[in-house]
Amino acid sequence: MFSMGDDSDPLMMLVWIIPIIIFVFYGQQIQLLVTSGEIKKAIKKLDKFSSDSKKELIDYVKNNLEPVDEPTKKIEQFLDYFTIMPVDMDPNGIVEKVRHTVRSREDYTRNHIKSLLPNISEIELNRVQTLLELASSLQMIHKIVNHMFLTAKKQKNYPLILPLQMILPFIMEHAKAMQAAIPAFKTGQPIGDGIGPMVVGKMMLNEEKEIISFQTVMAKTTFEQRKLFLLKAEGPSSTVGRPDEALQKIIDTNKIDVIIMVDAALKMEGEDSASIARGFGAAIGGIGTEKFQIEAIATTNQIPVFSIIVKQSVKEAITLMSKDIADQADNVRSQLYEMILENTAEGQSIVIIGVGNTIGVPQ
Amino acid sequence: MIFSKEEIIFAYTVEKCPKCNKLNRRDFSEGDVLFTPASKCSFCDGITVIEKIYGEIFQK
Repeated sequence: MFSMGDDSDPLMMLVWIIPIIIFVFYGQQIQLLVTSGEIKKAIKKLDKFSSDSKKELIDYVKNNLEPVDEPTKKIEQFLDYFTIMPVDMDPNGIVEKVRHTVRSREDYTRNHIKSLLPNISEIELNRVQTLLELASSLQMIHKIVNHMFLTAKKQKNYPLILPLQMILPFIMEHAKAMQAAIPAFKTGQPIGDGIGPMVVGKMMLNEEKEIISFQTVMAKTTFEQRKLFLLKAEGPSSTVGRPDEALQKIIDTNKIDVIIMVDAALKMEGEDSASIARGFGAAIGGIGTEKFQIEAIATTNQIPVFSIIVKQSVKEAITLMSKDIADQADNVRSQLYEMILENTAEGQSIVIIGVGNTIGVPQ
Repeated sequence: MIFSKEEIIFAYTVEKCPKCNKLNRRDFSEGDVLFTPASKCSFCDGITVIEKIYGEIFQK
Protein backbone atom coordinates (compact mmCIF):
# COMPACT_ATOMS: atom_id res chain seq x y z
CA MET A 1 0.00 0.00 0.00
CA PHE A 2 2.87 2.37 0.89
CA SER A 3 5.21 1.16 -1.79
CA MET A 4 6.88 3.91 -3.87
CA GLY A 5 7.18 1.71 -6.92
CA ASP A 6 8.59 -1.53 -8.09
CA ASP A 7 12.31 -1.67 -7.10
CA SER A 8 13.01 -4.47 -9.50
CA ASP A 9 12.03 -2.31 -12.48
CA PRO A 10 15.34 -1.66 -14.35
CA LEU A 11 14.13 1.75 -15.53
CA MET A 12 13.43 2.88 -11.94
CA MET A 13 16.84 1.59 -10.88
CA LEU A 14 18.46 3.76 -13.53
CA VAL A 15 16.49 6.79 -12.30
CA TRP A 16 18.11 6.29 -8.87
CA ILE A 17 21.55 5.20 -9.94
CA ILE A 18 22.33 7.75 -12.69
CA PRO A 19 22.04 10.84 -10.42
CA ILE A 20 24.19 9.08 -7.80
CA ILE A 21 26.87 8.36 -10.39
CA ILE A 22 26.67 11.95 -11.66
CA PHE A 23 27.05 13.35 -8.14
CA VAL A 24 29.93 10.99 -7.29
CA PHE A 25 31.97 11.95 -10.32
CA TYR A 26 30.79 15.50 -11.05
CA GLY A 27 29.58 16.68 -7.62
CA GLN A 28 32.43 19.14 -7.14
CA GLN A 29 31.95 20.64 -10.58
CA ILE A 30 28.20 21.10 -9.91
CA GLN A 31 28.92 22.76 -6.55
CA LEU A 32 31.55 24.92 -8.26
CA LEU A 33 28.97 25.98 -10.85
CA VAL A 34 26.37 26.96 -8.21
CA THR A 35 28.87 28.77 -5.97
CA SER A 36 30.57 30.55 -8.84
CA GLY A 37 27.27 32.27 -9.73
CA GLU A 38 27.23 34.00 -6.31
CA ILE A 39 30.92 34.84 -6.44
CA LYS A 40 30.65 36.25 -9.97
CA LYS A 41 27.93 38.64 -8.76
CA ALA A 42 30.15 39.77 -5.87
CA ILE A 43 33.14 40.26 -8.20
CA LYS A 44 30.96 42.37 -10.51
CA LYS A 45 30.01 44.55 -7.53
CA LEU A 46 33.66 44.83 -6.44
CA ASP A 47 34.63 45.84 -9.96
CA LYS A 48 31.96 48.54 -9.89
CA PHE A 49 33.14 49.79 -6.47
CA SER A 50 36.70 49.94 -7.77
CA SER A 51 35.88 51.82 -10.98
CA ASP A 52 33.38 54.16 -9.24
CA SER A 53 35.89 55.10 -6.54
CA LYS A 54 38.54 55.79 -9.19
CA LYS A 55 36.12 57.90 -11.20
CA GLU A 56 35.04 59.87 -8.13
CA LEU A 57 38.67 60.56 -7.24
CA ILE A 58 39.56 61.71 -10.75
CA ASP A 59 36.42 63.91 -10.95
CA TYR A 60 37.19 65.39 -7.52
CA VAL A 61 40.74 66.29 -8.56
CA LYS A 62 39.62 67.72 -11.92
CA ASN A 63 36.65 69.72 -10.59
CA ASN A 64 37.88 70.97 -7.20
CA LEU A 65 41.65 71.29 -7.54
CA GLU A 66 43.99 72.64 -10.18
CA PRO A 67 46.08 69.80 -11.60
CA VAL A 68 49.11 70.83 -13.70
CA ASP A 69 48.54 67.97 -16.16
CA GLU A 70 45.74 65.61 -17.07
CA PRO A 71 45.52 63.65 -13.77
CA THR A 72 43.85 60.43 -15.01
CA LYS A 73 47.00 58.58 -16.12
CA LYS A 74 49.01 59.55 -13.04
CA ILE A 75 46.21 58.52 -10.68
CA GLU A 76 45.78 55.20 -12.48
CA GLN A 77 49.53 54.60 -12.24
CA PHE A 78 49.46 55.36 -8.55
CA LEU A 79 46.54 53.00 -7.87
CA ASP A 80 48.69 50.13 -9.16
CA TYR A 81 51.48 50.96 -6.72
CA PHE A 82 52.14 48.11 -4.33
CA THR A 83 53.80 47.82 -0.93
CA ILE A 84 55.99 44.83 -0.09
CA MET A 85 55.91 44.21 3.64
CA PRO A 86 59.26 43.34 5.30
CA VAL A 87 60.18 39.69 5.78
CA ASP A 88 59.14 38.41 9.22
CA MET A 89 61.12 35.13 9.45
CA ASP A 90 63.24 36.88 12.07
CA PRO A 91 60.71 39.05 13.96
CA ASN A 92 63.43 41.05 15.74
CA GLY A 93 63.04 44.69 14.69
CA ILE A 94 60.04 43.98 12.44
CA VAL A 95 57.97 46.87 13.88
CA GLU A 96 60.62 49.41 12.94
CA LYS A 97 60.85 47.94 9.44
CA VAL A 98 57.05 48.00 8.96
CA ARG A 99 56.89 51.60 10.24
CA HIS A 100 59.65 52.61 7.83
CA THR A 101 57.92 50.93 4.86
CA VAL A 102 54.49 52.42 5.65
CA ARG A 103 55.84 55.91 6.28
CA SER A 104 57.93 55.79 3.10
CA ARG A 105 54.75 54.96 1.20
CA GLU A 106 52.87 57.82 2.92
CA ASP A 107 55.68 60.27 2.11
CA TYR A 108 55.77 59.06 -1.49
CA THR A 109 51.99 59.51 -1.81
CA ARG A 110 52.15 63.05 -0.43
CA ASN A 111 55.00 64.02 -2.76
CA HIS A 112 53.23 62.42 -5.70
CA ILE A 113 50.05 64.40 -5.00
CA LYS A 114 52.06 67.62 -4.55
CA SER A 115 53.75 67.11 -7.92
CA LEU A 116 50.35 66.72 -9.55
CA LEU A 117 48.74 69.59 -7.59
CA PRO A 118 51.48 72.09 -6.61
CA ASN A 119 49.04 74.63 -5.09
CA ILE A 120 47.16 72.15 -2.94
CA SER A 121 46.40 73.06 0.70
CA GLU A 122 47.29 70.71 3.56
CA ILE A 123 43.61 69.84 4.17
CA GLU A 124 42.99 69.00 0.50
CA LEU A 125 46.25 67.04 0.34
CA ASN A 126 45.16 64.79 3.21
CA ARG A 127 41.72 64.44 1.66
CA VAL A 128 43.12 63.34 -1.73
CA GLN A 129 45.55 61.01 0.04
CA THR A 130 42.66 59.28 1.84
CA LEU A 131 40.58 59.05 -1.35
CA LEU A 132 43.60 57.52 -3.12
CA GLU A 133 44.00 54.95 -0.34
CA LEU A 134 40.30 54.04 -0.56
CA ALA A 135 40.37 53.65 -4.37
CA SER A 136 43.63 51.71 -4.18
CA SER A 137 42.27 49.34 -1.50
CA LEU A 138 39.06 48.70 -3.47
CA GLN A 139 41.09 47.95 -6.59
CA MET A 140 43.32 45.55 -4.66
CA ILE A 141 40.32 43.73 -3.09
CA HIS A 142 38.77 43.27 -6.54
CA LYS A 143 42.02 41.96 -7.98
CA ILE A 144 42.62 39.44 -5.18
CA VAL A 145 39.05 38.06 -5.12
CA ASN A 146 39.01 37.81 -8.92
CA HIS A 147 42.39 36.03 -8.88
CA MET A 148 41.21 33.46 -6.30
CA PHE A 149 38.01 32.80 -8.24
CA LEU A 150 39.68 32.47 -11.64
CA THR A 151 42.38 30.17 -10.24
CA ALA A 152 39.77 27.84 -8.72
CA LYS A 153 37.78 27.88 -11.96
CA LYS A 154 40.83 27.27 -14.13
CA GLN A 155 41.94 24.31 -12.01
CA LYS A 156 38.30 23.13 -11.63
CA ASN A 157 39.21 22.93 -7.95
CA TYR A 158 36.15 23.22 -5.70
CA PRO A 159 38.01 23.11 -2.34
CA LEU A 160 40.01 26.12 -3.49
CA ILE A 161 36.84 28.17 -3.85
CA LEU A 162 35.49 27.23 -0.38
CA PRO A 163 37.65 29.66 1.66
CA LEU A 164 36.70 32.44 -0.76
CA GLN A 165 33.01 31.62 -0.38
CA MET A 166 33.40 31.72 3.42
CA ILE A 167 35.22 35.05 3.65
CA LEU A 168 33.34 36.79 0.84
CA PRO A 169 30.55 38.24 3.08
CA PHE A 170 33.20 39.88 5.30
CA ILE A 171 35.12 41.18 2.29
CA MET A 172 31.91 42.62 0.83
CA GLU A 173 31.05 44.30 4.15
CA HIS A 174 34.44 46.04 4.17
CA ALA A 175 34.26 46.94 0.48
CA LYS A 176 30.73 48.40 0.83
CA ALA A 177 31.89 50.42 3.85
CA MET A 178 34.86 51.81 1.88
CA GLN A 179 32.61 52.73 -1.03
CA ALA A 180 30.13 54.42 1.32
CA ALA A 181 32.99 56.34 3.01
CA ILE A 182 33.89 58.34 -0.11
CA PRO A 183 31.18 61.09 0.18
CA ALA A 184 32.13 61.84 3.81
CA PHE A 185 35.81 62.24 2.92
CA LYS A 186 35.00 64.36 -0.15
CA THR A 187 32.90 66.82 1.86
CA GLY A 188 35.05 66.80 5.02
CA GLN A 189 32.37 65.41 7.33
CA PRO A 190 33.32 63.75 10.64
CA ILE A 191 33.27 59.93 10.57
CA GLY A 192 32.47 57.42 13.33
CA ASP A 193 36.18 56.82 13.97
CA GLY A 194 36.45 60.53 14.82
CA ILE A 195 34.63 60.20 18.16
CA GLY A 196 37.93 60.15 20.11
CA PRO A 197 39.28 63.33 18.43
CA MET A 198 35.80 64.92 18.83
CA VAL A 199 35.80 64.35 22.60
CA VAL A 200 39.39 65.56 23.10
CA GLY A 201 39.08 68.32 20.47
CA LYS A 202 36.27 69.98 22.43
CA MET A 203 38.38 69.86 25.61
CA MET A 204 41.17 71.67 23.69
CA LEU A 205 38.98 74.47 22.31
CA ASN A 206 39.98 77.35 24.57
CA GLU A 207 43.51 76.13 25.31
CA GLU A 208 46.79 77.09 23.69
CA LYS A 209 47.77 74.41 21.17
CA GLU A 210 51.10 73.34 19.69
CA ILE A 211 52.11 70.94 16.94
CA ILE A 212 54.06 68.30 18.84
CA SER A 213 54.70 65.77 16.07
CA PHE A 214 53.69 65.29 12.43
CA GLN A 215 50.00 66.27 12.10
CA THR A 216 49.51 65.91 15.86
CA VAL A 217 48.36 68.64 18.27
CA MET A 218 48.93 68.95 22.00
CA ALA A 219 47.26 71.25 24.54
CA LYS A 220 47.77 71.55 28.29
CA THR A 221 44.98 72.14 30.76
CA THR A 222 44.08 71.36 34.36
CA PHE A 223 41.22 69.47 35.97
CA GLU A 224 40.65 69.13 39.74
CA GLN A 225 44.30 69.95 40.57
CA ARG A 226 45.57 67.48 37.97
CA LYS A 227 47.63 68.39 34.91
CA LEU A 228 46.17 67.15 31.62
CA PHE A 229 48.13 66.78 28.37
CA LEU A 230 45.57 66.55 25.57
CA LEU A 231 46.63 64.90 22.30
CA LYS A 232 44.86 64.43 18.98
CA ALA A 233 45.53 64.47 15.26
CA GLU A 234 45.49 67.93 13.72
CA GLY A 235 41.94 68.54 12.47
CA PRO A 236 39.94 69.14 10.45
CA SER A 237 42.28 67.29 8.04
CA SER A 238 41.80 63.63 7.22
CA THR A 239 44.63 62.27 9.35
CA VAL A 240 45.28 60.09 12.38
CA GLY A 241 48.49 61.93 13.31
CA ARG A 242 51.40 60.28 15.09
CA PRO A 243 50.27 59.89 18.72
CA ASP A 244 53.14 57.51 19.56
CA GLU A 245 55.82 60.07 18.68
CA ALA A 246 53.86 62.80 20.48
CA LEU A 247 53.57 60.67 23.62
CA GLN A 248 57.32 60.01 23.58
CA LYS A 249 58.01 63.77 23.38
CA ILE A 250 55.71 64.47 26.35
CA ILE A 251 57.29 61.67 28.42
CA ASP A 252 60.81 62.97 27.61
CA THR A 253 60.13 66.23 29.43
CA ASN A 254 57.35 65.42 31.94
CA LYS A 255 56.58 62.84 34.60
CA ILE A 256 53.35 61.18 33.50
CA ASP A 257 51.29 59.08 35.92
CA VAL A 258 48.46 57.78 33.73
CA ILE A 259 47.63 57.53 30.01
CA ILE A 260 43.98 57.47 28.92
CA MET A 261 43.03 56.70 25.32
CA VAL A 262 39.63 57.41 23.74
CA ASP A 263 38.90 55.54 20.53
CA ALA A 264 36.26 53.92 18.37
CA ALA A 265 36.27 50.12 18.41
CA LEU A 266 34.59 47.48 16.31
CA LYS A 267 31.49 46.10 17.99
CA MET A 268 30.72 42.43 18.14
CA GLU A 269 27.55 41.10 16.51
CA GLY A 270 24.67 41.60 18.93
CA GLU A 271 26.29 44.56 20.69
CA ASP A 272 24.62 47.97 20.47
CA SER A 273 26.15 50.63 18.27
CA ALA A 274 27.54 53.63 20.12
CA SER A 275 27.73 51.75 23.44
CA ILE A 276 30.63 52.84 25.64
CA ALA A 277 33.05 50.52 27.44
CA ARG A 278 36.03 51.19 29.68
CA GLY A 279 39.09 49.01 30.03
CA PHE A 280 42.85 48.65 30.25
CA GLY A 281 45.48 48.70 27.52
CA ALA A 282 46.17 50.83 24.48
CA ALA A 283 43.04 51.38 22.38
CA ILE A 284 44.42 52.14 18.94
CA GLY A 285 43.92 50.38 15.62
CA GLY A 286 45.89 50.60 12.41
CA ILE A 287 48.78 48.44 11.33
CA GLY A 288 50.04 48.00 14.90
CA THR A 289 53.23 50.06 14.92
CA GLU A 290 51.74 52.94 16.96
CA LYS A 291 50.15 50.52 19.44
CA PHE A 292 53.51 48.78 19.86
CA GLN A 293 55.28 52.08 20.47
CA ILE A 294 52.70 53.34 23.00
CA GLU A 295 52.84 50.02 24.88
CA ALA A 296 56.63 50.13 24.87
CA ILE A 297 56.67 53.70 26.26
CA ALA A 298 54.10 52.79 28.95
CA THR A 299 56.01 49.65 29.96
CA THR A 300 59.42 51.34 30.09
CA ASN A 301 58.06 54.16 32.25
CA GLN A 302 55.67 51.95 34.27
CA ILE A 303 52.64 54.05 33.35
CA PRO A 304 49.18 52.42 33.47
CA VAL A 305 47.13 52.78 30.27
CA PHE A 306 43.33 53.08 30.48
CA SER A 307 40.91 53.21 27.56
CA ILE A 308 37.41 54.31 26.75
CA ILE A 309 35.94 52.90 23.56
CA VAL A 310 32.79 53.67 21.59
CA LYS A 311 31.61 50.56 19.78
CA GLN A 312 30.53 50.65 16.14
CA SER A 313 30.45 48.60 12.94
CA VAL A 314 33.06 48.84 10.17
CA LYS A 315 30.65 50.89 8.08
CA GLU A 316 29.84 53.29 10.94
CA ALA A 317 33.54 53.73 11.68
CA ILE A 318 34.49 55.03 8.23
CA THR A 319 31.29 56.73 7.04
CA LEU A 320 29.59 59.93 8.23
CA MET A 321 29.22 59.79 12.03
CA SER A 322 25.82 58.43 13.04
CA LYS A 323 23.48 60.36 15.36
CA ASP A 324 23.86 57.72 18.09
CA ILE A 325 27.64 58.07 18.10
CA ALA A 326 27.58 61.90 17.95
CA ASP A 327 25.09 61.94 20.86
CA GLN A 328 27.55 59.94 22.98
CA ALA A 329 30.32 62.59 22.85
CA ASP A 330 29.22 64.37 26.06
CA ASN A 331 28.70 61.04 27.82
CA VAL A 332 32.21 59.88 26.86
CA ARG A 333 33.66 63.18 28.13
CA SER A 334 31.93 62.81 31.51
CA GLN A 335 33.12 59.18 31.79
CA LEU A 336 36.63 60.39 30.97
CA TYR A 337 36.54 62.92 33.83
CA GLU A 338 35.15 60.19 36.12
CA MET A 339 38.03 57.89 35.10
CA ILE A 340 40.56 60.63 35.87
CA LEU A 341 39.13 61.15 39.37
CA GLU A 342 38.96 57.40 40.07
CA ASN A 343 42.50 56.58 38.96
CA THR A 344 44.63 59.60 39.78
CA ALA A 345 45.40 61.79 42.77
CA GLU A 346 45.74 65.57 43.00
CA GLY A 347 49.02 66.85 41.57
CA GLN A 348 49.39 63.98 39.10
CA SER A 349 49.80 64.34 35.33
CA ILE A 350 47.69 62.54 32.75
CA VAL A 351 48.04 62.19 28.98
CA ILE A 352 44.67 61.94 27.21
CA ILE A 353 44.81 60.75 23.59
CA GLY A 354 41.85 61.13 21.23
CA VAL A 355 42.63 58.33 18.78
CA GLY A 356 41.20 58.15 15.25
CA ASN A 357 40.79 59.99 11.98
CA THR A 358 40.05 63.62 12.75
CA ILE A 359 38.40 64.61 9.45
CA GLY A 360 35.91 67.40 10.07
CA VAL A 361 36.96 67.69 13.74
CA PRO A 362 39.12 70.71 14.63
CA GLN A 363 40.42 71.58 18.10
CA MET B 1 19.16 40.58 -2.45
CA ILE B 2 15.54 40.78 -3.54
CA PHE B 3 14.25 42.35 -0.32
CA SER B 4 17.14 44.74 0.45
CA LYS B 5 16.25 48.43 0.32
CA GLU B 6 18.45 51.20 -0.92
CA GLU B 7 19.90 53.26 1.93
CA ILE B 8 20.31 57.02 1.72
CA ILE B 9 22.30 58.97 4.31
CA PHE B 10 21.08 62.50 5.06
CA ALA B 11 23.66 64.72 6.75
CA TYR B 12 22.58 67.20 9.44
CA THR B 13 24.32 69.99 11.30
CA VAL B 14 23.30 70.83 14.87
CA GLU B 15 24.01 74.38 16.02
CA LYS B 16 24.02 75.36 19.68
CA CYS B 17 23.80 78.86 21.08
CA PRO B 18 26.35 79.22 23.92
CA LYS B 19 24.22 82.00 25.43
CA CYS B 20 20.73 80.47 25.61
CA ASN B 21 21.73 76.80 24.99
CA LYS B 22 19.03 76.46 22.30
CA LEU B 23 19.71 73.79 19.66
CA ASN B 24 18.88 74.09 15.98
CA ARG B 25 19.11 71.22 13.50
CA ARG B 26 19.44 71.93 9.80
CA ASP B 27 20.69 70.17 6.66
CA PHE B 28 24.48 69.92 6.41
CA SER B 29 26.02 72.36 3.95
CA GLU B 30 29.54 72.06 2.57
CA GLY B 31 32.01 74.04 4.66
CA ASP B 32 30.33 73.22 7.98
CA VAL B 33 33.02 72.31 10.51
CA LEU B 34 32.51 71.20 14.12
CA PHE B 35 33.03 73.74 16.93
CA THR B 36 33.11 76.72 14.53
CA PRO B 37 30.75 79.74 14.72
CA ALA B 38 27.78 79.24 12.43
CA SER B 39 24.96 81.82 12.48
CA LYS B 40 23.05 84.31 14.59
CA CYS B 41 20.82 82.66 17.20
CA SER B 42 17.13 83.05 16.38
CA PHE B 43 16.18 83.21 20.09
CA CYS B 44 18.76 85.67 21.45
CA ASP B 45 21.61 87.83 20.13
CA GLY B 46 24.22 85.06 20.51
CA ILE B 47 26.23 83.41 17.73
CA THR B 48 25.61 79.69 17.40
CA VAL B 49 28.43 77.15 17.30
CA ILE B 50 28.32 73.85 15.39
CA GLU B 51 27.89 71.22 18.08
CA LYS B 52 27.39 68.07 16.01
CA ILE B 53 27.45 66.86 12.43
CA TYR B 54 25.87 63.49 11.85
CA GLY B 55 24.03 61.33 9.36
CA GLU B 56 20.71 59.55 9.54
CA ILE B 57 19.94 56.59 7.31
CA PHE B 58 16.66 56.41 5.43
CA GLN B 59 15.58 53.41 3.40
CA LYS B 60 13.94 53.80 0.00
